[in-house]
Amino acid sequence: MARLAWLRVVLGGAGVVLLSWGAWLMVGLDLSDLLEIGAWWAGGVLVHDFVLAPLAILVWYVVARRLPVWARAPFAATVVVLGTLTLAVLPTLGRFGAKAGDPYLLNRSYLAWWFVVAAVLVLVAAGWALSARRSAGRRTQAP
Amino acid sequence: MSVPGLRIPEEADLRTTLRSPTVAARVGVWLGLCFGIAFLTGLYSHALQSPPGWFTPLTRPVWIYQFSQGLHYLTGVACVPLLLVKLYAVYPRFFVRPPWQDRRAMLLHGLERGSIGLLVAAAIFQVASGLANSSQWYPWLVFSFRSTHYAVAWVVVGSLVVHIAVKLPVIRTAFAAPVDEGEEKSSGLSRRGLLRTTYVASGLAVLSVAGGSVPRLRRVSVFENHYVPGGGVPINKTARVAGVTAAATDPGYVLAVAFGDQEVELTLADLAELPQVTERLPIACVEGWSASGDWTGVRLRDLLPLVGAPAGSAVLATSLQEDGPYTSSELAGNVADDPLTLVATGLDGEPLSLDHGFPCRLIAPGRPGVLQTKWLGRLEAT
Repeated sequence: MARLAWLRVVLGGAGVVLLSWGAWLMVGLDLSDLLEIGAWWAGGVLVHDFVLAPLAILVWYVVARRLPVWARAPFAATVVVLGTLTLAVLPTLGRFGAKAGDPYLLNRSYLAWWFVVAAVLVLVAAGWALSARRSAGRRTQAP
Repeated sequence: MSVPGLRIPEEADLRTTLRSPTVAARVGVWLGLCFGIAFLTGLYSHALQSPPGWFTPLTRPVWIYQFSQGLHYLTGVACVPLLLVKLYAVYPRFFVRPPWQDRRAMLLHGLERGSIGLLVAAAIFQVASGLANSSQWYPWLVFSFRSTHYAVAWVVVGSLVVHIAVKLPVIRTAFAAPVDEGEEKSSGLSRRGLLRTTYVASGLAVLSVAGGSVPRLRRVSVFENHYVPGGGVPINKTARVAGVTAAATDPGYVLAVAFGDQEVELTLADLAELPQVTERLPIACVEGWSASGDWTGVRLRDLLPLVGAPAGSAVLATSLQEDGPYTSSELAGNVADDPLTLVATGLDGEPLSLDHGFPCRLIAPGRPGVLQTKWLGRLEAT
């Protein structure tokens, strides 16, 4: 246990040093920059804690719990994969950074591809759900 | 005012069998690994763009920056599912009631809350701002992306290391037990199922954008930000956007090469008379994409003797482009002297096109694309 305690002290100290260097770099930024960065930091936390996280709970209670039991896990997995993937490529999907002078930037039909990806994921989940239903049926028939 | 039956949830209300330390610790290790790789590759990229005095850029293997920046971008993308599921696993902790009565406990509680709040806020910001930048979307108005992303990186990694130190006993216990220890049977995903789903989500997210960094994946990377039909080297800034069309196509164009009070002016015909080489070199952008081309031109080191500059001199390359953040770039002595550092006039067997930097551009191994200065106007050895 003593070794773990030492490790914690060393790690904690190293973390504080790294953190202080980051804070020092941030102090060097303009006040107007810091105000805007602060707003973005708060915004990110608010969007997660008061929109995304409650939404995940809502989807579970409103949708998943009404599905047959064999469909719930495939449904939840599809929501996790498609939801996080969509957030990861949101700036690309929205083509927010597209510029008239740059023909190679954000130049694919991303939204159409999103539907293709979603369709493939739903098909995979449907296959999973059907096989779960079959094995659930076998279990109930077994003596 | 209070609505009967409605109240602020408490930790216990939100606890499910999925939201367990065994899940949080396992996702956390992958998340920490991705943040760590992104931090180190980010430091390298930053050092290339704002080199400290002691720093010597690496030029071999020639794809080193392509690799490190591709890794930076892809680990950042992988963080999105990992971060969201990590936050999901610990979300009930957000509703823990502070121990108002006990001052000492309150202080510790406040410190822990504060450090976690800092980590979460900085981590979300870091991932989100990096993703926006990779698609050249700048939804913020005031701050500069590069200096902010750099400073916040230290804050994220620092508060992450503090977090690991604080949670080390919890992490140890979580790994000493199998992931499903104490798991209640639920009708949804199991803990193992959630972990697998998270890793699949991260893998798919990476695959869907990796084509820009890993050309072999181009066919499956449907959310790639830069796409050149038929392959080839993408263009980040066209001549028209840079406002250099007139200067670059001026028949009286000369490239100035200078050292101290020595200066020569070279026409394209003068450049063509110097020894020509063709080298295959990648161009790799800070936004994560990269592509290789066969560049033809004159070695930069062959130009320096024309003005009496000693071998190994550092060189400042200035573009004809007048406005913008990257109108010039500095080459450290070892990069300027590298036999693969070219003043290129041709790409893939064709004369350089206007958008690729005609009349001539810089191309050197291991540098960020923004430093491969296009539409060269002046080279100054120092």
